Amino acid sequence: MDINLIQTQIESDLSAVTTAVALEEVRVKYLGRKGLLAELTGAIPGLPVEQRGAFGKEVNALKNKLLNLIAEKEKVLKNSGSVLKKENLDLGMPGIAQELGSIHPITQIIDEICAIFTRMGFSIVRGPEIETEYNNFTGLNIPLEHPSRDAFDTFYLKNYSKFLLRSHTSPVQVRAMKAHKPPLAIVVPGRVYRPDAVDASHLFMFHQIEGFLVDENIKFSDLKGILELFAKSVFGQEIKMRFRPHFFPFTEPSAEVDISCIICKGKGCSVCGRKGWLEILGAGMIHPNVFKQVGYNPEKYTGFAFGMGVERIAMLKYGINDIRLFFENDLRFLKQF
Amino acid sequence: MKVTYSWLKDFVDLKIAPVQLAEKLTMAGLEVVSLEEAGKDYIFEIEITSNRPDWLSVLGIAREVGAICGLKLKTVNLKETKIKVKDRLPVKISVSDKKDCPFYSARVICDVKVGPSPDWLKQRLESLGCRSVNNIVDITNYILFETGQPLHAFDLDTLNQKEINVRRGRADEKIITIDGQQKILDPEILVIADKDKPVAIAGIMGGKESEVTFKTRNILLESAVFNPILVRRGKQKLGLQSESAYRFERGVDLETAKTASLAAQELILKLASGKPCAYKSAGALKPSNRVINLDLVYVNKILGLAIPAVKIKQILSRLGLGVKAKTKNILAVKIPGFRQDIKLPIDLVEELARIYGYAKIPQSVPAIRPSRNISDKSDFTGLIKNILSGLGLREVITYSLVDRALLSKSGINTDRNLLEILNPLSKEQEVLRPALLPSLIRCLAHNLDQQQENIKIFEIADVFSAEAGSVREEPCLAIALCGINSFLTKQGLVKEELTLLHLKGMLEALFNRLGARSFNFIRQEERKINIILGNQEAGFMLDLSRQALDTFDIKNRQVILAQLSLEKLSGHINLGKKFSNIPKFPAITRDISFVIKNEVSVSELLSAIEAKGAPLLRQARVTDYYQGKQIPQGFKGLTVSCIYRLDERTLTEEEVNPLHDQVCSLLKERFEITLR
Repeated sequence: MDINLIQTQIESDLSAVTTAVALEEVRVKYLGRKGLLAELTGAIPGLPVEQRGAFGKEVNALKNKLLNLIAEKEKVLKNSGSVLKKENLDLGMPGIAQELGSIHPITQIIDEICAIFTRMGFSIVRGPEIETEYNNFTGLNIPLEHPSRDAFDTFYLKNYSKFLLRSHTSPVQVRAMKAHKPPLAIVVPGRVYRPDAVDASHLFMFHQIEGFLVDENIKFSDLKGILELFAKSVFGQEIKMRFRPHFFPFTEPSAEVDISCIICKGKGCSVCGRKGWLEILGAGMIHPNVFKQVGYNPEKYTGFAFGMGVERIAMLKYGINDIRLFFENDLRFLKQF
Repeated sequence: MKVTYSWLKDFVDLKIAPVQLAEKLTMAGLEVVSLEEAGKDYIFEIEITSNRPDWLSVLGIAREVGAICGLKLKTVNLKETKIKVKDRLPVKISVSDKKDCPFYSARVICDVKVGPSPDWLKQRLESLGCRSVNNIVDITNYILFETGQPLHAFDLDTLNQKEINVRRGRADEKIITIDGQQKILDPEILVIADKDKPVAIAGIMGGKESEVTFKTRNILLESAVFNPILVRRGKQKLGLQSESAYRFERGVDLETAKTASLAAQELILKLASGKPCAYKSAGALKPSNRVINLDLVYVNKILGLAIPAVKIKQILSRLGLGVKAKTKNILAVKIPGFRQDIKLPIDLVEELARIYGYAKIPQSVPAIRPSRNISDKSDFTGLIKNILSGLGLREVITYSLVDRALLSKSGINTDRNLLEILNPLSKEQEVLRPALLPSLIRCLAHNLDQQQENIKIFEIADVFSAEAGSVREEPCLAIALCGINSFLTKQGLVKEELTLLHLKGMLEALFNRLGARSFNFIRQEERKINIILGNQEAGFMLDLSRQALDTFDIKNRQVILAQLSLEKLSGHINLGKKFSNIPKFPAITRDISFVIKNEVSVSELLSAIEAKGAPLLRQARVTDYYQGKQIPQGFKGLTVSCIYRLDERTLTEEEVNPLHDQVCSLLKERFEITLR
């Protein structure tokens, strides 16, 4: 067989190739298991001994040359896009994928906030929604018959006078502190219930996130530092923050915390009631009476606690103007998150 | 509480503008919710927290303004006027229980001229939202707003025997209050009575019969301290609200009760003439002697801020507290009667922080020592939510409180084990739900109404029940599917109705991902399939009946549901992973396509195949199924893929073929299949 002849034929075959499929055919024709080169190699044993060496070398050279030519051709084909051409793909057509579901926006906000605090070293703890009067009120220094209870209208259970639906997540403070010794760094997300008349900003069920830190030497300045880290993570580095004195039975000193309005940047608009500030949470140093209730020594330990309404934060962050949308669960609402 | 700029100026020499004052008040804990211009004056509306009854007065707010602005409080010390002997009038005062009424005082002023109030008085009251009645009533209200001490004036001549008795109401007693309502009294309600009948509900509202009118000549002026809890119970029970009750339930000050009464008399004599004819009181006035030791180091320790000692003393005295240095670092602080809220050193720390300014407290970041073994390790809800949303489900959150009707519509027995709400505001809050599915079906129905085609939702929440005299709260997962699943393939759009098999597939994916390996689905009823985890029933799948669909007004749709106890599931979750070697040697796969009767259980068939082909047969699974034209009624077409493999070497066809033939024969003989 004339090796030169074969080489010419290879070159003419390759020059006719325009598609990946045709190239593969050429490859099989020459380099396949039953291809021409295999045939040549198979012929070597039949040659006179003195010719075998030279012939073998020639076949090998041919094979290498062929491999190079095919590789080159492949490159040319790829660059010219003719591999894709075969599919005739119109990228204007919809892509094919399975539709994902979604996580409720309230859960997303809870997860986002809890993640901020867990990065700081807080643990997530949950508590029951049916609570005792003690955990919800007395243990938190809220006296039985005092106007301070008016802020915590509560659902009670028929036939089970000991129990109520927690009106805030703070009872978990009492639970956690009774079960564990300091140091404690805990966040508590969950549902809470209050008999409020329903309107665009009030519902009888909503979500809160409670947080508290108890250790030796925890100070009000720590509360300010931690909450600023939190608020900037959620609402952006550019926001301003202020602490206003307030009253909660379970903290002393207590504060309401405002951020500069994220809509008008503090200039005053309808969302912030022209004040330039938005109240986002309540906080304070845990009252020594609460420590006494749970058996902590208030001389040794100090701590802070804070609580916020998740719906309010979600509404501010997403620009939602009616709290009822969260629980209507219209798919056209859910699909936006 | 409303207060005007000019009224405050009676007590402090204000120099700053109203707007700035409003800002300062807000930042000191007296949140100014509105500031209105009214003629030449300004009206501040301030939200007063429930711990500060002393702020429910112009004087109290002025004292605060003095502390914030560094101004001295201007007060007048009134002296008791002597009653002339010829004017003396006998009145009898008695208090049945001192605990109900620690202090009661009455002044009698005779020959008053009841008439309209002068304009300045009318204006001051009206700017605070209080209607002018007559000069006597207006003066009692004026003093109430100015000092925080509620007063009441009776028409003396309507009081039988000119006698006052503070006692509990009696079971059969009634009173018509000044707002014209009849109220029924009982022994839980404290009343002011004359010789034989109640004339006022103590601390809450006066009686119509004894009210001061333009005909009144002689009055009895009451200034008292009532038990806050009694007043609170009384007003809640009777459904009454008043400026007086609002202050009494928060606690009034004994000392102010005395001075306010005197101030009112002065003003009455000035504006309505008349002469003082009696002053009687019951109960002792014990001045407050409480002293709290304040350690300056403690202030710094709590706040993380060192307020200079001079500043501390200044702030406390401006707030009306007595300050004496005990040692270099310890102050003895005397607490006046009007500050009943200050009980502990921490309360003084708050006062200092408030007036010094929260804004001056620096920010620090504490070294957080994480609490070990506290977070709930068995809380897998986050993971489950992620898996399910990956499977195309959308999380919903629905109310835990529902109406009974929703439950009965869903076929839930509402007679037993339900936890009911004692004080719902509406029917929608009647009961705590014992299951999630009714809420999810309602949510489906809502979305179908909104022309949504493909609804796949889930919720994770607690469900509630009454159990053996106690309450039970348990986390649950519920899934609801309805509608047409449509998706694109290269061949075009595929549409299919969501069925139990879709739900089963989702649950299998969930269980597998959670490492809950031993699960099973067992048909319990025609439409109900139990979900078994381990050997325990952990929930069910349900194909909602036509009847149930009708009650929710769902038409021409199939609704597929699942409910699963997360408590039971969590016992089977195993997220630990263990690596097994990737097979080194290739497997030989043989597919069998056949037609089989519908009644034959596929899971039984697969286990029979696996038993027969073991150990070379590693897995037998259904890779395709078909029901339709080419398959006779009552049959289905199946393709089962059998995978044969050895770990230690490559299997040969000669080894597999006879074995696979045996598998096929088994199917023919035992399961009566016909090969296709």
